[in-house]
Amino acid sequence: MPLVLLVDDERAIRTICRVNLEADGLSVAEAKDGAEALEEIRRKQPSLVLLDVMMPGIDGWGVAEQLAADAETRDIPVVFLSARASHEDRVHAMRLGAVGYIVKPFDPLELAGTVREVLERIARGEREQLNRDLAEPG
Amino acid sequence: MISDAAPRAKARGARWPRLTVRWAVAAAVALGAPGLVTLLAFTSVRTVVPGLLYTVAIILATAAGGRIGGLAAVAASAYPFFHFFASRYDRNQINGEGATALAVFVLAAVFGSEVLRRERSARERAERVVRESASALDAAARLQHVADALATARTPQEVLDAVLTEGVRAAEARGGLIATLSEDGQWLEVVASRGYDMQYIEPFRRFPVSGNFPLSEAVRTREGVFVRSEAERDERYPELAGRSQPGHGLVCVPLVGERGAIGGLVFSFPTDQEFPPERRALKVALGRQAAIALERAWFSAAEQALRDRLSFLDEATALLTSSLDLQRTLESLASLAVERLADWCAIDVLVEETGEIEGLVVAHPDPERKKWAEEVRARTRPTRIDDDFDLTARVMRTGEPEFLRQVPHELIDEAARRDPEAAAALEHISIRSAIMLPLRAGERTFGALTLIAEHREFDNADFALGQQLSARAAIAVENARLYREAERRAEAALALAYVGDGVVLLDEDGRVRFWNSAAAAITGVRESDVTGRVPVEVLPAWEELTRLAELADAETPERARPVTVPIETAAGDRWVAVTGVAFDEGVVYALRDVSDEQAFERARSDFVATASHELRTPLAAVYGAARTLRRTDIEIPAEQRDRFLEIIVSETERLTAIVSQILLAGQLEEGCVDVSTSATDLRPLAESALDSARLRAPEGVELRLEQNGGRAVALADEDKLRQVLVNLLDNAIKYSPDGGDVSVELTGGAGRVRLTVRDGGLGIPRGEQERIFEKFYRLDPALTRGVGGSGLGLFISRELVSRMGGSLTVRSEPGEGAAFVVDLPAA
Repeated sequence: MPLVLLVDDERAIRTICRVNLEADGLSVAEAKDGAEALEEIRRKQPSLVLLDVMMPGIDGWGVAEQLAADAETRDIPVVFLSARASHEDRVHAMRLGAVGYIVKPFDPLELAGTVREVLERIARGEREQLNRDLAEPG
Repeated sequence: MISDAAPRAKARGARWPRLTVRWAVAAAVALGAPGLVTLLAFTSVRTVVPGLLYTVAIILATAAGGRIGGLAAVAASAYPFFHFFASRYDRNQINGEGATALAVFVLAAVFGSEVLRRERSARERAERVVRESASALDAAARLQHVADALATARTPQEVLDAVLTEGVRAAEARGGLIATLSEDGQWLEVVASRGYDMQYIEPFRRFPVSGNFPLSEAVRTREGVFVRSEAERDERYPELAGRSQPGHGLVCVPLVGERGAIGGLVFSFPTDQEFPPERRALKVALGRQAAIALERAWFSAAEQALRDRLSFLDEATALLTSSLDLQRTLESLASLAVERLADWCAIDVLVEETGEIEGLVVAHPDPERKKWAEEVRARTRPTRIDDDFDLTARVMRTGEPEFLRQVPHELIDEAARRDPEAAAALEHISIRSAIMLPLRAGERTFGALTLIAEHREFDNADFALGQQLSARAAIAVENARLYREAERRAEAALALAYVGDGVVLLDEDGRVRFWNSAAAAITGVRESDVTGRVPVEVLPAWEELTRLAELADAETPERARPVTVPIETAAGDRWVAVTGVAFDEGVVYALRDVSDEQAFERARSDFVATASHELRTPLAAVYGAARTLRRTDIEIPAEQRDRFLEIIVSETERLTAIVSQILLAGQLEEGCVDVSTSATDLRPLAESALDSARLRAPEGVELRLEQNGGRAVALADEDKLRQVLVNLLDNAIKYSPDGGDVSVELTGGAGRVRLTVRDGGLGIPRGEQERIFEKFYRLDPALTRGVGGSGLGLFISRELVSRMGGSLTVRSEPGEGAAFVVDLPAA
């Protein structure tokens, strides 16, 4: 069963995501800030990271940078989950190697489906395409 | 020469009766006297006595009939003397005594006649002299009378009056008339009359010198015309028959001045007249006197008119040079013109951009008429410079004046036909004479001065005066224009010197001709360093600055679109908005430092992004919780369900707070927030806020209350102060990511109460300690990454505290926390 690491400083968001992901058959781990996220990622090697951007301490960008810089973690797919909705943010995410960008508010019922689709496309070798798609306008 | 050839026969006829009587008397004496003496023969007296008596008779006959009478008496005496009284002679031959007697008789006759003749001649001469002297005396007295009257006449009108009163009286006439010669010498115009019926004058008010009229003849020939009777007048001048006033004798004398004929004088008499030489001489002398007096009066009037004109020009010049307020000056000038020269005066100028003629000024002595004229001009459609009909336009086009002594009616009618508005106006004014003069500056005609006389005709002197006036007016207008231009340039220079935008003028070669102080401030380059040089030599960023600016052309400068460019300058990094307009002689750039606007815009964008982010997060929670609760495919435990409901409630409150903050900030800016202060105990307020904050505070953050001094009771709006305290506590907690103490300190004192929120968190750099109170401003994200907030909290807090009569300040060192101090008046 794929493990999804939820990283968000908002407890409510973590709860909502966890309930829905687990209900859809995914296992979930949580981290409330960037430092904790990096620790959890290294320890648990999740299948995918759902990563908020605005967090105290190391923010989501910082976490993604560090993951990309580390050979052990560079292949772990990152899907940003953020209230920042500008195109520049999506481009930034693309440059950091992310494979998805979900803008809050989002439908938690679709979260699991999104995660599964990303994992399947990565398995099919479409990782780079997923990354490039982030820069598409709209 | 006296012109009297025709009446000679009649004159001879008049003399014939006198000669016949005289000769009859002489014959009677020549024959009767000797006859009487002969009768003495019958009394037988001696020879001597009869001889003496015959001699006396011969002398008497000589006295009566002159030499011929005397010789006739000799003949009538000789025979009876020799026959009756000289007995010693022979009837058939004359002896010595007889011859002696005959010689005595002849000598008596001849001598006597000569003596008598001489005596008579002397007597006649004496009588003639007496008669002539009396006549001359009388004529001299009359002329003197007239001269006295003329001497006191100063003006031409007074002279005319004097001639027609004293002159007519001196001439013993019934009436008189004076006509003056026109300037071209072709016409005689009646200027004064007395004793004439005007209905006979009007048809001959103006008549040609070449005409067959007695006065025309007198002026032509420079000699008097003497007409004894109406019959003679009609015979000699048939054109007057039936048209001229019925009358009798008539005398026409020329008025000849120093420079020739100036007119003519007419005397009419109540009866038919004879004009002996002395009477003719008197009339001619009167004419000469009148001419001299009239010429002198004209000269004096001309001199006075010249003085008046010079005085007028002096006044006009003083007026024109007294002020550079063009409109007022021209109005004063036009008013002066209608006082002295014309009935109407108008000044128009050409608007070169449109080719239309604009009326600047119109004047009339009557303010009501002036106002009426101004209204009419305002309503009338403007004339264009290329209008062929309009005389003002023609004057402006050609630069040549127009002088209409008598404005033709056709011209006025045509003007009325072309413009109904003008037609209506023309019904209310009379235009007899007009002068239109160009206003010129060098070769350029920029306007026109129009003078109109309603009831008189302008003359050459008026035209000359008008030309002088227009020349002076043109100079004044040009001076005012130049002054205005200089003023405008000075104002423009002043404006450019102080305008907030930078203005840079480059010539065709791209060298700086003008670089105002704002440009120097924006770029950090002084005018003295860059004038005359290509800007990029001194300011490398100039190329970047102007590269993107699309130059608008001079015809449509409003199309210039600003381009905002970041540049490095000696004054630091700047965002500069630049526009450029190209024209024939170069390019002008306008620079505006929009760094503040950019920063504000950035802050606003950040705020929008931040506010969006701040709103999205609780929305995501509310939406997510609601969606999850609605799932029917999973079982959600009751505890979890409550949790989701709690999330919905709390995040909705969070949303509400954020929205409220945004709205409150807007209301504070618009001054729509009311603050009602009352005595507020800060301790319970602080305790309540701390309790609430503890619920939200993360682990590691310790909240406490401290109080120093006396009771902390402030004059404050409790609700708004609570809002401020909650905001300060939230900030203190947010900016203590590593935990630590957050305290609320209350300090009471006389007059002021202090509330301090202190934390030991990230701190605030000195350069930002004022900026954090600006709307939307948030600390550098590099220091506070991930810390949420709208950037409005401190702005709102400071505004609210300020409205309570207090102040909100901060003390902080980076990395050592911050202390926010609320200072309020004590209750």
